[in-house]
Amino acid sequence: MERFVLMNAGPTQPRPANQHLRRNPPIAGEQEAITKAQNGDGRAFETLYAMHKRRVYSLCLRMLGNVAEAEDLTQEAFLQLYRKIATFRGDSAFSTWLHRLAVNVVLMHLRRKGLPQVSLEETLEPSQDDGPRKDIGARDLTLSGSIDRVTLERAIENLPPGYRLVFVLHDVEGYEHNEIAEMLDCSIGNSKSQLHKARMKLRDLLKTGQRKEQIA
Amino acid sequence: MIVMRAPDKTMTCAEFQDALPELFESQADLSGHEHLKSCENCAALVRDLQYIASQARLLLPIHDPSPAVWENIQQAIRQGGSSGPAAQAPRK
Repeated sequence: MERFVLMNAGPTQPRPANQHLRRNPPIAGEQEAITKAQNGDGRAFETLYAMHKRRVYSLCLRMLGNVAEAEDLTQEAFLQLYRKIATFRGDSAFSTWLHRLAVNVVLMHLRRKGLPQVSLEETLEPSQDDGPRKDIGARDLTLSGSIDRVTLERAIENLPPGYRLVFVLHDVEGYEHNEIAEMLDCSIGNSKSQLHKARMKLRDLLKTGQRKEQIA
Repeated sequence: MIVMRAPDKTMTCAEFQDALPELFESQADLSGHEHLKSCENCAALVRDLQYIASQARLLLPIHDPSPAVWENIQQAIRQGGSSGPAAQAPRK
């Protein structure tokens, strides 16, 4: 069984042309703030916090599903940024670099809390609930065009931690399977498998919610 | 010589669903897949999973941390918190 083991505590320099750049558009004034913050300008660091706090916090919250922990780790991520900003070389977008730093902070935290909670093993055993439904039954309710953001966010919150990590990293944050595999110290195949199971579980959660709404 | 059967014509639902993770990753257009032409259940499954993935990509960072987070960061920096920041500035 592959286990969830963090390999790198610090941010690595992600590939410059990865797809999560779509979520990291250049921000006006960012470069100037980076340069000043690298030279110890506290006001510039505050500017960087204001620019990126929402994204870092949202990432932490989605990965953890817990407000208090998400705030703690947002705080820790920015303190790590404060200590490490001088090492940012600009090989990738700053927001990409910061984002990876935040992901690593969350993964370190989860590892400190104990492997059972974040182990991918929990999702490796197929079960009737989580596995693909291979029966050919009557037509089922379809989801397309029927879920809103709040409903999806809530369903993601209800995913088991192992599923949630891979789903958030891949489908929400745009990391590639090879990046996720490196972060979680699992195989690329395992990452793909977990993602598929996560989507299947989400489908079940969303459909269950829809059925309840219809009954109500 | 490797002999391959025509998978999409003889695939069962189980075989198709087992192949789905790789099919999705291949970025192939599944709408023309032979199995889906004759299996509404699997076609609905594919539509749903594609829909979930597409909706997830649209989720934006919308949550803001409380002001206490920045206050704690400032406090830790003032205290010279270059090591063990979380321990130095626990969440209020």
